[in-house]
Amino acid sequence: MSSVARPAFTARKARFIALCLLPGVIFVVVFTYYPMIRGAVIAFQRYNLFDLTSTPFVGLENFRSVLAEDRFWTALRNTGTWVVVSLFFQFFLGFGLALLLRRQFRGRGLYQAWVFFPWAMSGFLIGLLWRWMFNGQFGVVNDLLLKAGIIDERIGFLASPGWAMTSVIVANVWYGVTFFAIMIMAALQSVPGELYEAASVDGASRLRQFWHVTLPHIRPTLALIVLLRIIWILNFPDLIYAMTGGGPAGGTDIVTTFLIQQVIGGDYGRAGAVGLLVLGLLLSFSVFYLNVTRFERSR
Amino acid sequence: MRSSRLAAPTALLAAATLALAGCGSDSGSSGEVRLRMIESLTSPERTKLIKTLIADFEKANPGVSVELVSPPLDSADQKITQILQTKKDLDVLEVRDHTAKSFSNNGWLAELPTDAWPGWADLTDLAKKKTVEVGGKPYLIPYGFYQRTLFHRTDWGLTQPPKTWQELYEAGKRMTSGDRFGYSFRGGKGGADYAVMMISAYNGEALDPEKSFFLKDKRTIFATPEAAQALDLYVKIFKEASPPDSVSWGYPEMVQGFTSGVTGMLIQDPEVIKTVEESGVKAWSTAPIPKGPTGYAFQPVGYAGWGVTSFSKHQKEAVKLVQFLSESKQSIAFAKGNSLIPISKQAQNDPQFSQGAWKAYLEAQQDPQQVITIRPVDYPGWSQFNVDSDRDVQALITGKKTVAEVLTSWDAFWADQGRKVS
Repeated sequence: MSSVARPAFTARKARFIALCLLPGVIFVVVFTYYPMIRGAVIAFQRYNLFDLTSTPFVGLENFRSVLAEDRFWTALRNTGTWVVVSLFFQFFLGFGLALLLRRQFRGRGLYQAWVFFPWAMSGFLIGLLWRWMFNGQFGVVNDLLLKAGIIDERIGFLASPGWAMTSVIVANVWYGVTFFAIMIMAALQSVPGELYEAASVDGASRLRQFWHVTLPHIRPTLALIVLLRIIWILNFPDLIYAMTGGGPAGGTDIVTTFLIQQVIGGDYGRAGAVGLLVLGLLLSFSVFYLNVTRFERSR
Repeated sequence: MRSSRLAAPTALLAAATLALAGCGSDSGSSGEVRLRMIESLTSPERTKLIKTLIADFEKANPGVSVELVSPPLDSADQKITQILQTKKDLDVLEVRDHTAKSFSNNGWLAELPTDAWPGWADLTDLAKKKTVEVGGKPYLIPYGFYQRTLFHRTDWGLTQPPKTWQELYEAGKRMTSGDRFGYSFRGGKGGADYAVMMISAYNGEALDPEKSFFLKDKRTIFATPEAAQALDLYVKIFKEASPPDSVSWGYPEMVQGFTSGVTGMLIQDPEVIKTVEESGVKAWSTAPIPKGPTGYAFQPVGYAGWGVTSFSKHQKEAVKLVQFLSESKQSIAFAKGNSLIPISKQAQNDPQFSQGAWKAYLEAQQDPQQVITIRPVDYPGWSQFNVDSDRDVQALITGKKTVAEVLTSWDAFWADQGRKVS
């Protein structure tokens, strides 16, 4: 009896759910998949803004010209530095902050709001802010270091490739620590209290509790947020673009600022090629990372 | 039954779709014409001024309203390009000398009627020339011009402004000590422009002002020994007369350097006059830009203006708006508000444009050896060169590239461009 009525009900329900999902699906297709596919197609065309009346397919020509450029390889090397160093400091400082903020103390809410504030700002705005702060002549960072007696003369933070890379990483760490602090704090709060109680009864020190109770419990979350953050840092040219424009002389160029330069130069074909190369790089890395961390098997 | 059950969500979806589609509608309910206009060189004061002018236009043209879109300066041209590619919901737009060629190439700009417009006669010769600079057709009417002048402190031991680049270098070197530097060097975005200005001045009469990256004998300006001399001096100005940090300076830093008393000389557009007047700097003056050993100075006149899209559904009203903004009263108000060289002949009677800091512009205009050139914006590689050449300049002043390497690559690039266009 019910076995006859049920399929009809399920089909109706499915249609209704599909109808409810339709606007969202249309939105994602129009604003995410269409530009992505269009960008991928453009990568195989001569597509220069100077003249869009002729956009012939040129096969792998855009990829060849990008890969033949020293600047691309420099940008790729810089990307490695930018991601690894930023991630290292963001992760450990964020972890420390999360552990601190987990405790109860007066004004904790205010302190949390103050710590999380950078995450609410746009990357470009942060870049502009730090660009002025790091200015060699009238920047506040130089002023503070001079007044504190740490330095004798002003440092041109954005004037040499080494200092410029350090400066953009400092700004990125300031921005990204917050994300790790929020996510790790949420993960820490999910660890059941009775596990700590049991560990205390067994005589485990705080360090052993952290190592044997806290870490195993939050490891899947850590693996996921590290992967997310790697992808986001690599796809975060806003800060660098506003701070240094990729300079001096390409010293802070990463693959995504290199891509922006192709767009500004009007060569959308090459920009599309760089975009696809970045996508390939991220996909390969993600597969490798998930295999290494055996994320799919973690609880 | 089923269809009636589906009717509500379907109607809701249809209504939402219609509402979204209606976001960009261009006609009001009472048959009113609504124009959409977008600016590029956005700033808060400027937007306010444009809105005031638009309000005057709406008052003078009942039944027409204008919606102004003001994207952030740094991404404005990209946004305008994206909108133009969709060919929807845009009637009037700001067209810059950098973008005019690609916009017209792609058929996005309408030709503006100039013959029947009484305001045409009131435009200066320069404004008329720039109106038809791209392809010989009037795709935009400029609203003003950006021409560089030398700003200099008069209380830093500089009795006379430097007349040549060599003098600028020497004066800058004398001014440089401790936390003070002679020159606001631009090593960041737009820095290559200054290198090209010097190279042009060193090439002198051999340069073809109509195709300013080429000589009259068709070689590029980068292929000469004079170009190497110019770049050598350019590097010396950076190393011996400018803040080391200026390797990354763009427009805001170089202006800030001058107004905050860090640097004694600055070469910039007239909009800086207002900034310097409002700063604490009291003893300063302006002079025409320095010349090369040839006795010549070359510089392009930067400009932007208002144009109408080819796909506008209200061409007539859009053209009317552009013409209104270009008439003497409005264009002078706009030029004053933005410290621009005006497009109206009537502005010559205005004391603001003939006294004080503006006198240097008059002086330059009256000097036949201060030559206005045309940038090669109609060459396919122009945009790419702007990006790459800034990189090269930074590599040059940080010692990563030599003068010869930079000039060889620029020469090869423009020789190739010359072949493509001819």
